[in-house]
Amino acid sequence: MRYALRRLGFFVLTLWVALTLNFLLPRLMPGNPALAMMGKFHGELTPQSLNALEILFGVDTHASLGSQYISYLHQVVTGNFGTSLDYYPASVSSVIGSAIWWTFGLVGVSTVLAFILGTGLGIVAAWRRGGRLDSVLPPVFVIASAMPYFWVGMVLVLVFGISLHWLPYVGGYNVTGDTPAFTLHFIGDVLSHSILPALSLLITTIGTWILTMRNTMITTLAEDYVRMARAKGLPGWRIMIDYAARNAILPNLTGFAMSLGFVVSGAILIEYVFNYPGVGFMLLQAVQGEDYPLMQALFLLITVAVLVAILIADIATALLDPRTRAAS
Amino acid sequence: MRRLIRYGVIVAAGLLAAACSSSSPGGGTGGGGGASGANSVLTISNENGALWTCGFNPFNGSDTLVSVGFVYEPLVYVNPLQNGATTPMLASSWTWGPGNKSLVFNIRQGVKFTDGTPLTAADVAYTFNMLKKYPAMDLTGVWSVLSSVTQTGTYQVTMQFSTAAVPWFYYIADQTPIVPEHIWSAISNPVAYPDSHPVGTGPYEVNPCTAANITYTANPHFWQPGEPHVHTLKYPAFTSNNTANDELANGQAQWGAQYIPGIQAFYTSKSTAFHYWFPPVLNVSLVPNLTNPLLSNVKVRQAMAYAINRPQVSSIGESGYEPAANQAGIVTPTYTSWLDTSQLAQDGNYAYNPAKAKQLLAEAGYHMGSNGIMVNSAGKQLSFTVINIGDYSDWLASMQVIVQNLKAVGIQVSPENLTNTDYDADLFPGNFQLAYVEQETIGPGPYYELNDWLNSADTAPIGKTAATNYERYSNAATEALLNQYASTTSTATQHSIVDQLEQVMLTQVPFIPVTEGVDWYQYDTAAFSGWPTPGDPYAQPPVWAYPDNEQVLLHLKPR
Amino acid sequence: MAIPLSLGQPAGEPRRLPASRALARMGRAVRSNHKATVGTVLLALFILVALFPGVIAHDNPSLDAYKPHLGLSTAHLLGTTAYGQDMFAQLVWGTRNVMIIAFTVGLATTGIAVLVGVAGAYLGGLWDSSLGVLTDVLLVIPLFPLLIVIAAYAHGGGTLLLIVVITVTSWSYTARQLRSQALTLRSRDFLQAARVRGERRLYIIVMEVIPTMTSLIVASFLTNALYAILFASSLQFIGLGDPDTVSWGTMLYWAQNNAALQTGQPLWAIAPGACIAALGAAFALLNYAFDEIGNPALRPVRRSKRVRSA
Repeated sequence: MRYALRRLGFFVLTLWVALTLNFLLPRLMPGNPALAMMGKFHGELTPQSLNALEILFGVDTHASLGSQYISYLHQVVTGNFGTSLDYYPASVSSVIGSAIWWTFGLVGVSTVLAFILGTGLGIVAAWRRGGRLDSVLPPVFVIASAMPYFWVGMVLVLVFGISLHWLPYVGGYNVTGDTPAFTLHFIGDVLSHSILPALSLLITTIGTWILTMRNTMITTLAEDYVRMARAKGLPGWRIMIDYAARNAILPNLTGFAMSLGFVVSGAILIEYVFNYPGVGFMLLQAVQGEDYPLMQALFLLITVAVLVAILIADIATALLDPRTRAAS
Repeated sequence: MRRLIRYGVIVAAGLLAAACSSSSPGGGTGGGGGASGANSVLTISNENGALWTCGFNPFNGSDTLVSVGFVYEPLVYVNPLQNGATTPMLASSWTWGPGNKSLVFNIRQGVKFTDGTPLTAADVAYTFNMLKKYPAMDLTGVWSVLSSVTQTGTYQVTMQFSTAAVPWFYYIADQTPIVPEHIWSAISNPVAYPDSHPVGTGPYEVNPCTAANITYTANPHFWQPGEPHVHTLKYPAFTSNNTANDELANGQAQWGAQYIPGIQAFYTSKSTAFHYWFPPVLNVSLVPNLTNPLLSNVKVRQAMAYAINRPQVSSIGESGYEPAANQAGIVTPTYTSWLDTSQLAQDGNYAYNPAKAKQLLAEAGYHMGSNGIMVNSAGKQLSFTVINIGDYSDWLASMQVIVQNLKAVGIQVSPENLTNTDYDADLFPGNFQLAYVEQETIGPGPYYELNDWLNSADTAPIGKTAATNYERYSNAATEALLNQYASTTSTATQHSIVDQLEQVMLTQVPFIPVTEGVDWYQYDTAAFSGWPTPGDPYAQPPVWAYPDNEQVLLHLKPR
Repeated sequence: MAIPLSLGQPAGEPRRLPASRALARMGRAVRSNHKATVGTVLLALFILVALFPGVIAHDNPSLDAYKPHLGLSTAHLLGTTAYGQDMFAQLVWGTRNVMIIAFTVGLATTGIAVLVGVAGAYLGGLWDSSLGVLTDVLLVIPLFPLLIVIAAYAHGGGTLLLIVVITVTSWSYTARQLRSQALTLRSRDFLQAARVRGERRLYIIVMEVIPTMTSLIVASFLTNALYAILFASSLQFIGLGDPDTVSWGTMLYWAQNNAALQTGQPLWAIAPGACIAALGAAFALLNYAFDEIGNPALRPVRRSKRVRSA
């Protein structure tokens, strides 16, 4: 319990830091970058909307930094992120809603697949130490983990999309041909558009799972209780899964939490390459269109999502591994 | 472990099945060009960068491109590509009064709005007077030259001008959509009125609009019998250029207004029915700030004009899509009939001539410094910054060529690639030394662009916002020419004045046109015929050009 | 861009050796470990290219001097771009920009990480807690979105901005690792001895602790350099770098803007990406090799030959 509370406290602290960063950044840059953007908005927004944006970016307000900060926090907590410039006159919160599901689906599915396949392969590689799998996998995936995400995406586009015409490589679904609806046709369309992006994400993230699982498995396999199990004559499969893997997988979970930041970066770049209409693509478009309200809100959203995932992973580790609870 | 593998296989099988069953990347269901008249569906590909707001207020700058030409119409159609050739629309005829101080329109009879109400001169008068009452709706600023608009008969409207403004016929008759009085008079705040169910006289009705797509269906009460031939239009909201380009390349969209890099490999090679045409309409120019002490020397500007290899900028920077411009400032071939080739030839056509550039710089008192930059006796170097829009990769590439060209004659130019808003924030108040600029408004003749550049009414002191005359040019003689043009309807006088304006461009070099900005336009002839082509430029072809888009829609026929 | 491969500290505590002997030992280890050899050779190759680009590529990389869209030929080893620039020259000259970023950020970030990690471990108490919390918080905030936001507010910038921004945000992971190791070292005998001798804390930190952590510091440098390259080229790719600089990331930016893949110019996008992958692989291989050198349990198992008994 104490462990969970401590992690929750850390979560709140990090969230506060992210919010404060968001508040400070536009004000720290030489010549407030939002000034020019605000000039565009003048005359088009209601005074309340204009005020909301001024609070977010510190433009034209004569209030002290402290009171600006309080108003900013209050605004953010009530979910008011201002009006979007790109999607004018829609509010930022209404615009984000459409993109979240796409990223959630893409990242969620590829991460789960990467976890399952990667952990599985790591276990097998460690079990057969010195075997062909073990000597081939590590260098291959060391190299794979150093490849830029977007490059893997581009290669897949070139091979499967352009040369072979097997799979679509632009967008989340066929915009002119389909209207979003719960038909089998639409779902099939969405799935076919998601294969290449998910594959890119899978290829670049699976390496970590395999390698860390293999490394921790190797260390675990050297432990006494595993030797004991072997001496008892238990079948190999059983030892591998019930004894070794169960314990080796836990450090993997903490690794997962830390690698989430990189998975997010990868998702942003892959969405860009495939024009996949998720949160990452929307962030980059907001940057290109200088839609700072939207950009700020997306940054906060991504940070919160990563924090929540890490919190869940931490609590899961604590629940599954009594050693962590005892150690804290 | 085995369970995991089993699940994995099931998931993979499911994905494969879905991939095979859904539409293949090349073809598509729906959205393609339809067959017979009643089922014909034309899909548009124009990336707008955002989803639709489903507002159709024709006086709201963000909504004009989806409402005017489809639902609303103007009085007269004026074709910028055919020197202002006119086609009467809601006005059947018109006459200029004595001294061109007044204009009388006769309104077409038998026209009905989509709710059945007949169109009369009252609607026309109401529309114009509404713009007077709410200046935010007067997008083209017609009330800067009008003094009154009155209904002088059931089907007659008389307009009085406060100043000579013959060229303003384009903005009044072509660029002002007519809205129904009986609906708009009941709106308390027409500036913010979304107009989600627009009632107009045009060939289409909105039926329906969602954030992702607008569907237009033919107006059964349209005043031109048998028109329009294309029954349904689809206008999807594309948020990225790539998706919009892709839809054209696989044939799902037939009418494009897209910038497509490598268009032959990307688009036209995919089908013999795919075509493109980029009619040039405006100059893209290197603009000096004439208040800069070094740039105020005309010989320096002339040298720059000779040093830039315009054909190279066109072929490398713009992939050959935008032809090279000429120093006379006349966009060719669109306005070739206005170009005085003999004047241009006297200056060697201002063709690429680095030797001549260096000679002019020498005459201006510059010599090559040790660092490769020209310097004068007072120690001032010809080293400038140029502001450019960082978002336009073709402008970035063009500027790279220009920089290399100028470096070769000893003029150093450092690009500042800015975001759109920063660029405007520097351009309008004159916070720049050099700028790469394309004007925004097209007109039915070279006068319109030249007027934007040279009219001192459109400039402002440094620090204040200039409307279109960013280089801060001001010359009484040129001013007199521009005013004279505005007061005449005689084409002979107009041509003579434009010749003199060309002379201004050649001798004074107020700015340096480099390439000619074009309309992006792609079309698919497989399912539809009647497209505008170089041989038949009956209207500006892009879908966002209004009210030209209406002319295109009225010419199109399903095969 | 997966997580760095040396999670936690290498099993088995590092032995105390004078710095010169430690380096010699490292050299031997590099030669015998295949991965380290490949990695070193690749890295050396890139460094050479970055130092002497003119020797290999004779064309000016940014001049639009040739016909566009040319294919492979002896005059243009990789063909030309859509603007008529020699692609091979761009690749070669771009190496310099990438290596500068990699080494500058690598060194600066590792420096900060050593400072924060070791200081935290040795100062203890409130210092350690606050530095620790700072490190952990920065560790958890997603770096790439933060980089994007900062670069966006700065309206994109040149190499210097990229270096500063990436350095300031990416030191936390290695700081944490260094701190863990420094903490384990605190209780070691040789350090107790130094304290008993009366040496000052700063002396202990600089002369005793840091040399012992050499292998981890080198591994940190490699990790940080790798991520510097990936982050910097990603930012340039999406247009937040300066598009007029010659670098692999900006080549990718121009290729993307010209729809290189769809218009039959795939090399323009694939070649710079392959270079990034190769350089990244060099750093990653070296890093992995250092992991193996530090943790003998991870070394590849040599199959013992069955000896037939006579």
